Parts: sequence; C-alpha cells; structure tokens
Amino acid sequence: MIGEFEYLVLTAAIHLDENAYGAAIRRAIEAATERRCSIGALYTTLDRLETKGFVKTWMGDSTPQRGGRAKRMVRVTAKGNRAASAFYLAIMRVSRNVSWEAE
Amino acid sequence: MSGEPAISRLLWWLVNSSAQMLESGEREAVRGDLAESGETGSQALRHVVGLVIRRQLSIWTDWRSWLTLLGLVVPLGLLLSVISRRMAATSAVYIWMYANNLDPGLFAYRGFWYQFADTVAEIFKMYLSLGCWSWTSGFVLGFASRGIIRVNGFLFCLMLAFGVLLGAPLYLAYYRHYLQRTIGFPIFAHQHYDPVNALIFYRVMFPLIVQAVLVLLPALWGMREGARAVRLRLLFRAILWMTAIAALAAVVIQNPDLWMFLKSYRLARTPWHGWQGRLLQLFAYWPLVFMLAIAIARRLPGGRVVSHSVLP
Repeated sequence: MIGEFEYLVLTAAIHLDENAYGAAIRRAIEAATERRCSIGALYTTLDRLETKGFVKTWMGDSTPQRGGRAKRMVRVTAKGNRAASAFYLAIMRVSRNVSWEAE
Repeated sequence: MSGEPAISRLLWWLVNSSAQMLESGEREAVRGDLAESGETGSQALRHVVGLVIRRQLSIWTDWRSWLTLLGLVVPLGLLLSVISRRMAATSAVYIWMYANNLDPGLFAYRGFWYQFADTVAEIFKMYLSLGCWSWTSGFVLGFASRGIIRVNGFLFCLMLAFGVLLGAPLYLAYYRHYLQRTIGFPIFAHQHYDPVNALIFYRVMFPLIVQAVLVLLPALWGMREGARAVRLRLLFRAILWMTAIAALAAVVIQNPDLWMFLKSYRLARTPWHGWQGRLLQLFAYWPLVFMLAIAIARRLPGGRVVSHSVLP
C-alpha cells in the first residue's frame, strides 16, 4: 500500500497527464492540500515511486519561464494507477458511514 | 541582477552552490522549478538544502556507501597521513640541515655537491612516491564512489585533516614506544634533544604543507580521474583497477607498520625488500604512465576521437 503523499503525487500526475512535471505537480498538491509542498519531499517521493515502478520520469523540454532549464516529466504507469486506485478505495471503505461534521 | 540586494545575491549564490551537490539532471530540474515558481532566495535555499539533506541521508541507507567509507576512506586517509607525517619528519631533517645550517665554505668541496645531489634525489623519490600513492588512493576512491564522490571526497578531506593533526602523531608516538620497547630505539622525550622538532615550522607547519601538497591535491586529482575512468570500456577499467590495486598493495607492503604488526603476532620475519618489493614499487609510479598516455592520446591527430574511442 502506498502512503498518503505518494497518493497525492500519483493523483496529481494522473490529473496533469502530459503536463505532469515537478513544479506543476507541486502546485497541484499545494492547491489541493492548502499546505506547502517541499521540493525535497516531492523529488525523493518521485524517486521512490519510480523505483517501485509506479511512475516513469525523464528530462523534458525547457521553457523561457524556467530560465531555459529542462523539466523532469512524469508519467504514471499502469502499476502506479492500480496502486493509487487501491489506496483511494481503501480510504473510501474506511470512511464509509463516518460523519466529519462538527459535533 | 546588479540591482538586487546583496543578501538576495548571497542567498542565490548559496542556492547554486548547494545545488552542486545534486546530480546534474536533478539540479537542472530543481533550478528550473524554482525559477518557474518564483521562489525567493531564502525559500529556494530551504528547498535545495532540504533536498540535498534527504539525498545525503538516503546514501547511507545503502551498505555499499558504508563499505567504501570503512574500507577505503578511513584506512587510506589514515595510512597516507602516517606515511606523509613520517616522510615530512625524515625530509625535514635534511632540509633543516641544508637550509638552517649551511656553511658556504662547503661549496668548494666536490663531496658536498655529491652528497647534496644524493639527498635531493632521495627526497624527490620519496615525495614522488607519496604523490603517486595519494593519486592512486584518490583514483580508487573516485572509481569506487560512483554517485557519492562528492561526499566521499569531503569525508576523505576530513579524514586527512584528522590524520595529520591527531591520528598520525598519536600513531607515530605509539610506534616509537613500540620500537623502544622491542629494540631499545632511543626516544627524544624532550625537544631540546631534537633540534629539528624544536622549530615550530618543522614540527607543525611542514607536515601540514607536505600533507596538503603531496597528499590532498594529488588525491583530489586522482579522484577526478577515477570518476572519469568509470566510463571506460570494461577491459580498460579492469587493467586500471588491477594496476591501482597493485600500487596500493605496494604502499601497504612497503610500509613498516604492516610488518611491525605481523611481527608482533609472529607472522613475519623481515619486510619484503627483495625483488618483489622493487617490482611492486614500479607499480607505485603508474599514475605517471597513465597521465602520459592520456596526454599523448589527446595530442594525437583526432585526439578527442582517440580519447573517446575507449568509451563504450
């Protein structure tokens, strides 16, 4: 089973599809969690996910807004898709009949 | 850029310096991400330092990093420090003799010049051996370190500093006591009986200079060459690796310390000073052959092609 942050990275990358790369994934996670996401946490998690075979990464194009520097592109593999899906289903199951409204 | 406050420029300089600890691809991506997200200097520094720390910590979860540290960095650092300290002490006596006690009246004697040339040749050979051993140690370390060469280079520098300031003096003091206990070798308990060491230059500064010039610099140079040699074809790598191992074996075998310990355990009678020792000594100078070969390959017509033709 993947961890919470790994799930966030995988889901953000799936959502971004062909535009999934370091800075974009970070922005998506920050927007979803309303918390700061460190580059260190993101890149080490991407490495871990790649080692597990959940994502593939490669150096992509550079853009002027990046000072002409290349992006680390990310693509979620079928195995990564299944892992994220399993995590989501587990969260859904465990959350069933739980009310989060203030008492 | 020139209009930026000094603190901001300093922070970005620190960001770029810290990013040097990352692999080139990752460095490129991270710096691009920082530029794209418009982080301030302090935020960028926090991100980069955080990533560098995470990367460094992850290195030490791999047993091979510990093997390189305990099998190469520590023993080679200490061994080179001991040899360098010993050579510095030996050569200091001759340098003191000629530099601090020179009598110009001796210049007229042929015997003086004969002795002087002999001493210079002996010291040169000693220093050349030390430089080559250090280069070889660096080469092996660079070759074995792969992705953690910067960390190992830093740790090796720390080890050399520890060796020259504390490790080697303590070890040599123990060694002198051992000699005194076993064969009655005299110990100069007080500096008044040892005029060379009575001078602070020869006692403190000279060993540091020898360590910096003949150990640190050649070792860092060798480390760089060793890291480059990883890209060579398997056959060349195997030849270089075997030569470097033979050269390191020469260092260990020709060092009196090994024999002292073997003798302590009654495992050896005399040091290996026969033809085998002389043959091994030749291996010690292999860095000169290596550098000569590289220089010739680069100067040949189409030198770049020649030097890269050994790459896979």
